[in-house]
Amino acid sequence: MTLDTPFHIGIGLDAGSRNFFHHETGPDGLLQRLDAAIDLITLEDRFARPDGGGLDAILFANWLGARTRHAGILAGAPVNVLEPFHVSTAIATLDYVTEGRAGLLAQTLDDEQIAAAKRATGPLNGYPADDRQSLDQDFDEAIDVIRRLWDSWEDDAVIRDPESQRFVDGAKLRYVDFKGSNFSVLGPSITPRPPQGQPIIAATVGAGNAAGGKADVDVVFLRTGLNDLPLLLKAASAVQPGLRYFADIDIDAGESKTELHWKTEAENVAARVRQWAFKGLSGIRLLPVRPERDLIPIVDHLLPALRAAGIGQTHQAKTLRERLALPAAANRYVHAA
Amino acid sequence: MSKKKVILGAQFPGVNNFTVWSDPAAGSQIDFSSFRHFAETVERGKLDFIFLAEGLRVREQKGRFHELDVVGRPNTLAILTALAAVTSNIGLIGTLTTTFNEPYPLARQMATLDTLSGGRAGWNVVTSPGAFTGANFRRGDHLPFAERYERAREFIDAARAIWQGGEFVVKSKHFDIVGRTDLPPSPRGGPVIAQAGDSDTGRDLAASHADLIYSRHGTLEEGQAFYRDVKGRLARHGRSENDLKILPGAAFALGDSQEEAEENLQAIRLQQVSPKNAIVFLEQVWNRDLSTYDPEGPLPQIDPEVSTPALAQGRASRVDDRLETARKWREIAEHEKLSIRQLVIKITARKQFVGTGETVAREINRYVQENAADGFVFAPHLTPTGFDEFVEKVIPHLQEWGVYRKDYSHGTLSGNLGLPRAA
Repeated sequence: MTLDTPFHIGIGLDAGSRNFFHHETGPDGLLQRLDAAIDLITLEDRFARPDGGGLDAILFANWLGARTRHAGILAGAPVNVLEPFHVSTAIATLDYVTEGRAGLLAQTLDDEQIAAAKRATGPLNGYPADDRQSLDQDFDEAIDVIRRLWDSWEDDAVIRDPESQRFVDGAKLRYVDFKGSNFSVLGPSITPRPPQGQPIIAATVGAGNAAGGKADVDVVFLRTGLNDLPLLLKAASAVQPGLRYFADIDIDAGESKTELHWKTEAENVAARVRQWAFKGLSGIRLLPVRPERDLIPIVDHLLPALRAAGIGQTHQAKTLRERLALPAAANRYVHAA
Repeated sequence: MSKKKVILGAQFPGVNNFTVWSDPAAGSQIDFSSFRHFAETVERGKLDFIFLAEGLRVREQKGRFHELDVVGRPNTLAILTALAAVTSNIGLIGTLTTTFNEPYPLARQMATLDTLSGGRAGWNVVTSPGAFTGANFRRGDHLPFAERYERAREFIDAARAIWQGGEFVVKSKHFDIVGRTDLPPSPRGGPVIAQAGDSDTGRDLAASHADLIYSRHGTLEEGQAFYRDVKGRLARHGRSENDLKILPGAAFALGDSQEEAEENLQAIRLQQVSPKNAIVFLEQVWNRDLSTYDPEGPLPQIDPEVSTPALAQGRASRVDDRLETARKWREIAEHEKLSIRQLVIKITARKQFVGTGETVAREINRYVQENAADGFVFAPHLTPTGFDEFVEKVIPHLQEWGVYRKDYSHGTLSGNLGLPRAA
C-alpha cells in the first residue's frame, strides 16, 4: 500500500559518522547510498559534552552538503551558547552549498549540558542565565534573530547596475534591529538571502522538554516511547498545527543481521507508519543506537525494505522546503505593493 | 646555494572595490559554484592555499549602506569546510576575529576544519572594530581598544591548548575556561596561524605566534626592510627564520606582451575605481560630502572636516591625519596633473605584477630569492575565473625553474608551506 501524502524518512546522526563516510567512499559509498535513499539527515552537535565535543556539526554539515545531492541536511547547534549571527550566516552558507537543502536543528541543552558549556566558554555577558525560563526565552529569541537575518537582504538586492555604478541596492538591505532580553543584533546579515529564503528550522521535543515546540520552527522531532507518541503528537499539533511532525525511532541492529530480521523490522515500522500517517505525522527519523554498527544495515536493508513496503518514496523536489511541502518563504520585510 | 621555494596563496575576490563586478566575465560572488571553480583552479595550479577575508558587518558610508562595491559573502569557516570536501591538497586559510569569537567554539571549529580536510586548516587572526561590528553580536562592544592584541595573543594560546586534545584548562586575563576535546590531537601543532597586522604590536604577535605574516609592501627595498625586521624578531621568541613565512598581498595583470599587460592593468584599474568610487574614497579623508565634485576634475580646495566622527564605517582605517593627507594628495595631483579619479587610482594601487607570464614569474621569483618575501598572496580582480590565466601562464615558468612544486607531496598546509613543524 502506498500512502496518499508523501511520508518522509530522516536519519539522525552526529559527527561520529564521519568515520564511516571517510571509510566507504566512491560513487557507491555509504554516504551516496544514504543520500539517494533518505529525505533528510540531522547532525546532532555535542558542544562541550563531558566525553569531548566531537566535530562542530554546522561545519560537518557543510562538508556533507558538498558531498551529497539529494538529502536535506539539518545542522545541529545549541543556540543558547552560540552567536546567532554566526549561526545564521553558517546555515545560509549551507543553503548555498546544497542549493536549497539546508536546515538548522536548534538544540536545547539540559542543566548539566548548559553548565558544561558555560565552563567551556567562560562567563560572558549577552548570554542567558542558567534557569529554564531564561534559556527558553533566549532560545526563541535566537531563532527569531537567525530568521530575521535571513530576510535582511531582499532576493533581488544585488543589481549590478552600470548606470548608477551600484552593485547593490541599499534600500533592499535592512537593519533587523533586534532587541532581546539578553542581547541585541543590528544586522543586516553579511550573507545574501539564501536560496530557500528561509532554510528549515527543526527542534526535538520530548516529554520533559517542550521548549522546541513553542519556538518558530518548521519541523519537530517527537522523541518519546511508542505508547506516548499519539498523546505527544496531539498536544504538540494543538499548539502549532502547521508544522511537520516526525516520530523518532531507535534502530538497534543488535547482533542479529539476517535479512529476515530486517524484513520483519521494516514491516513493523511500516505498520506503525500507516497508522500514524493518518494522525498527522509527516515522517519518521531513524536513530541508529550505535551508528558504527547500525548505519550500514539501515542503509542496505531497512531502507530498501521500507521502500518495498511503500514508505519513503524519493521525492523529486529540489529544495528541502519543497520536499516537506512547506510554502515558499515570504520575506517579512517586503510588503506587497 | 639552493634556491628558495616560492610560496603562493590565492585570495578569493572579496568585498571591496578591487573585485570588479561591472565586467561581463564577473560571476556570482556567493554561489558555491564560484568558490568551487576558484578552489579547483587554484589546486590545479598546485598553489599552497586559498585565503578568505572576513567582514562581520555590511560597510556604511554617510550613514547608508555602501552600494558601489561587491558585497555579500558566506560564513568563512562554513565555506572553507565545504571546499575541504571537494579538494585534496590546497590549504584553506580563513580570516577570523578574536574580538567576536570565543576560544572554545572557534578552536573546536578550526579543529573540525583541520580534521575534515586532513590537516589543511589555517587561521588568519585579526581583531575587529568594537562598536561598529559589535552591534551584531551578543557581547557587543566588550573590549577596550588597547586590549585587542592582548586578547588576540591569549586567544591563540587558548586555542593551542585546546588543540592539544583531552582536558584543557585556560586561566588568563581574558579567559577562564575548562573543558575537553576528543578530536585527534594534531601532530603538527594544530592549524597554521597567519597574522596581518603591520604595526609594531602586530609584528611582535606574528614573531611570537604566527606561521605566516600577510603584509603590504610594494617595492623590493620596502619588502626587504620588513623581511629583515620581522625575521629579526624571531630569535627573541626562540624561533628560527624558517618558522615564519612572509607573504605580502599582491595583484597581477597579464598580457601576451608587456604593452598589452599594461593596457589590461589600466582597464582593470578604471573598472576598480569607478567615478563614484573615487569620490567615496576621497570622502573618507575629507570626511564630508563631496558628491557634487567632478571625479574627472581637480581635487577639492576645501579642507577636510576634522571635528566630526568618520563618515565611513567598517573599513580598515587608513588615514590618521586628514589635513596632512589632503595636503599631500593635492600636491601629488597638482604636480602630476591628476584628476580625482586618476589620483585615487594611483593612491590605492597595491603591489602589481604586470607583464607576460614569464616576466611576472621572474619578478615574483626575484622578490623571493632576494629576501623581500617568501612568496605572495594574490588577489585576482574577477570572480570566479580571475585565477585561471595565472595558473596557465605564470606557474609553469616557476615550476620549470625548480622554485615551485610540480605536484603536492604532503597534503597538509604546514607541509605545503615547508614549515619545520610539518616534518
